[in-house]
Amino acid sequence: MDALNNLMYGFGIALEPINIAYVFAGVFAGTIIGMLPGLGPISALALMIPITFAMEPSSGLILMAGVYYGAIFGGSTSSILLNAPGVAGTVATSFDGYPMAKQGLAGKALAIAAYASFIGGTVSIIFLMLVAPLLSKVAVSFGPAEYFALMVLGLTAVVSLSDKSLVKGLIAAVIGIMISIVGIDLQTGTERFTLGSMHLLDGIDFLVVALGIFALAEVFYMLLRGGGGKEPKRNVIGSLKLSGSEVKQIAGPISRSSILGFFTGVLPGAGATIGSFLGYSMEKRLAKDGDTFGKGNIKGVAAPEAANNAACTGSFVPLLTLGVPGSGTTAVLLGALLVMGVTPGPMMLEQRPDVFWGVIASMYIGNIFLLVLNLPLIPLIAKILDLPRPLLLSLILIFCMIGVYGMSFSVFDLMLLLGFGLMGLGMRLFGFPAAPLILALILGNIMEESMRRALQISGGDWMIFVEKPISLSLLLIALLSLTLPLLKKRRKRPVT
Amino acid sequence: MTSLSLKRLAVIALPMAALSGMATAVNAQEWTPSRSIEFVAPANPGGGWDTLVRTVSRVIQEEQLSDRNFAAINVPGGGGAVAWAQIARDSGNPHKLFATSPPVILVPLAGASRYDHSDFTPVARLITDYSILLVAADSEYETINDLFDALRENPNLSIGGGSAPGSMDHISVAGLASAAGLEASSVNYIPFSGGGDAMTNLMGGHVEAVITGAGESVGQLGEGSQLRALGVSAPERLSGSLADVPTYQEQGVDYTFDIWRGVMGAPDMPEEAVAYYEDLFAEMLETDGWQRARDQLGWIDAYQDSEEFGVFLDEQQELFSSVLSDLGLLRQ
Repeated sequence: MDALNNLMYGFGIALEPINIAYVFAGVFAGTIIGMLPGLGPISALALMIPITFAMEPSSGLILMAGVYYGAIFGGSTSSILLNAPGVAGTVATSFDGYPMAKQGLAGKALAIAAYASFIGGTVSIIFLMLVAPLLSKVAVSFGPAEYFALMVLGLTAVVSLSDKSLVKGLIAAVIGIMISIVGIDLQTGTERFTLGSMHLLDGIDFLVVALGIFALAEVFYMLLRGGGGKEPKRNVIGSLKLSGSEVKQIAGPISRSSILGFFTGVLPGAGATIGSFLGYSMEKRLAKDGDTFGKGNIKGVAAPEAANNAACTGSFVPLLTLGVPGSGTTAVLLGALLVMGVTPGPMMLEQRPDVFWGVIASMYIGNIFLLVLNLPLIPLIAKILDLPRPLLLSLILIFCMIGVYGMSFSVFDLMLLLGFGLMGLGMRLFGFPAAPLILALILGNIMEESMRRALQISGGDWMIFVEKPISLSLLLIALLSLTLPLLKKRRKRPVT
Repeated sequence: MTSLSLKRLAVIALPMAALSGMATAVNAQEWTPSRSIEFVAPANPGGGWDTLVRTVSRVIQEEQLSDRNFAAINVPGGGGAVAWAQIARDSGNPHKLFATSPPVILVPLAGASRYDHSDFTPVARLITDYSILLVAADSEYETINDLFDALRENPNLSIGGGSAPGSMDHISVAGLASAAGLEASSVNYIPFSGGGDAMTNLMGGHVEAVITGAGESVGQLGEGSQLRALGVSAPERLSGSLADVPTYQEQGVDYTFDIWRGVMGAPDMPEEAVAYYEDLFAEMLETDGWQRARDQLGWIDAYQDSEEFGVFLDEQQELFSSVLSDLGLLRQ
């Protein structure tokens, strides 16, 4: 019952009035930042470093962690309402969340997102508390070969994400991988597909593509169809209440995705975005009504939302127990901790238990705050859909542009956004699914780098991918998930 | 408007000048900033340049060293190239500074930036960090010589680092190998996306050794750690928790490597402005606020004024280009 004692100790710190205030301020600011498309938690946290400098390290981390998971929590809102992902981790939420909003079920989608986020967050805090020190072993057991295998497994989701035509889905995925190649190659320092432009040296930011292909393309599509404001049921927000059968439907996806998401978060470099895609495609494959995913299935909202919040909490495992940041956001958190005089790492549990357990306890409180804060806000925020079409469309445009410009302060990226918007429109008109492109874009980079790193370590020997047990098992699962649906089909055929 | 605000400035400035007159001889020639100083970090928030810019700005403000604000601005892109191209267009602007470190030499040498250090005005070198060579705690290698002996036997031995080939970590370890009598290009350098990423891979046994910044490694070393340091690139042993780590020179390899950080300004910055900033930064390094932040971040003071810094940068460029050409990575 060591964990319980430690947790009580942590609550002793987290329940100090000043720290409760910090948790609240953190999650509140995070929710707002998350709701605005494009504006992610990284810049917000970097701006906060000077503020936290003078604070107690436990308070500082409590505040900053609140902003981080608050942003992931709030990010689903604009994914669902506007088809514009608030943060990278909530792209997958828009696949079913936005169709639900179009069907007049915005309230329900937002409520499911809030419950799923809450449960995903809370489940993974329990994991974080109980097994964090053990899990640091899992995190380090993933080397280049293992990451490559994991990315291959992730990519098999292209099959389930390309609903009508597999060929079109594969074409979209290849385009996604091509976009991920743009920029300076980490392995050789060679410029690839930069067309001599300095602005492309760092590659194309994932959010620029996501906002263009989802949000902007949607705006263009509505304009094209002659937006006379005749959209049926557009103005209905719907009830927030879930029926008993709906609760039953999402219970499984939420619990599975919470666990999956947590373990994805523990791996440095994987994180919330990959976690949410894996959760979404896993549930789509498991569901009996898998073919309604992408058309407003409530499980399609619940799964990625549980997974991304769980992954966000999971990413604190490598940060706090290894001192290794798994993502850009946790890198800023690491920097802030160093400035406050705390060195995360294997010794932190003994040296600064106040910071470690204080933050864990504060996350329980923060998650409750988030739920209580978000639920009553839903009807208010969803009112944005009541706006007249021209206003709403302009608003989406403005949000996307502010988001992109706020990330890089680059006009070039605004042009890219526009370009990807047009590309997304073209894809929609010709029936190419956007989700495989986005998935391949996220995975492509890590997949390529890991593969080449692994081969460089092995001296060019491809056996490295099958000699390592974790890598081999992941590759086998990938193979199974590709072949099983085919076998199933074959078995069905004689009957029909 | 301008004349009005200038007048107002004079009204404020006069009594202040009188007050501070005891300490510094005020003469008509002395330059002071007339508006906020743009202090550019040529990267996203969170990295080394960004930390330097934000820390310096904060200390200057807290210690009230300047009556003008230092505004931290992030201009990410191209490993710095986007920011450098912008600043290069701002010739003569005395209100524009940027944080700098070896990439300002390395990126142009790799052919990825039209502008290099000679296009800008050196203002001051502030701090330095050193490279550290790490192995897993249970590794058979006890000294850097053990590692290099093994490398002679098996050139395939992988050494991870936190940056792309041809950038700091790679140059540092390739130069070390060359000083130890090996071919610089014989090091099987595996680039990871950051020092932390590289160290995780070392803990998991995916690479044999890792080269990274000493400051970055502090949290990973010490009691109960899964990693062990073989040597550090400093001329003398470091203090604090790294005091037990021998230098390369102690182990018979005459090689040091600095990961310096400093401040540069727009091209052709007026001399008076350079003098103002030199004094400002020299004064800043003496303050308690700076020393506290510096110790927490594991930085080591390494002040050089504009002229010394300029000479130092030229020497570094020569050193880097010779290692890069040994590696076959010189593109300029």
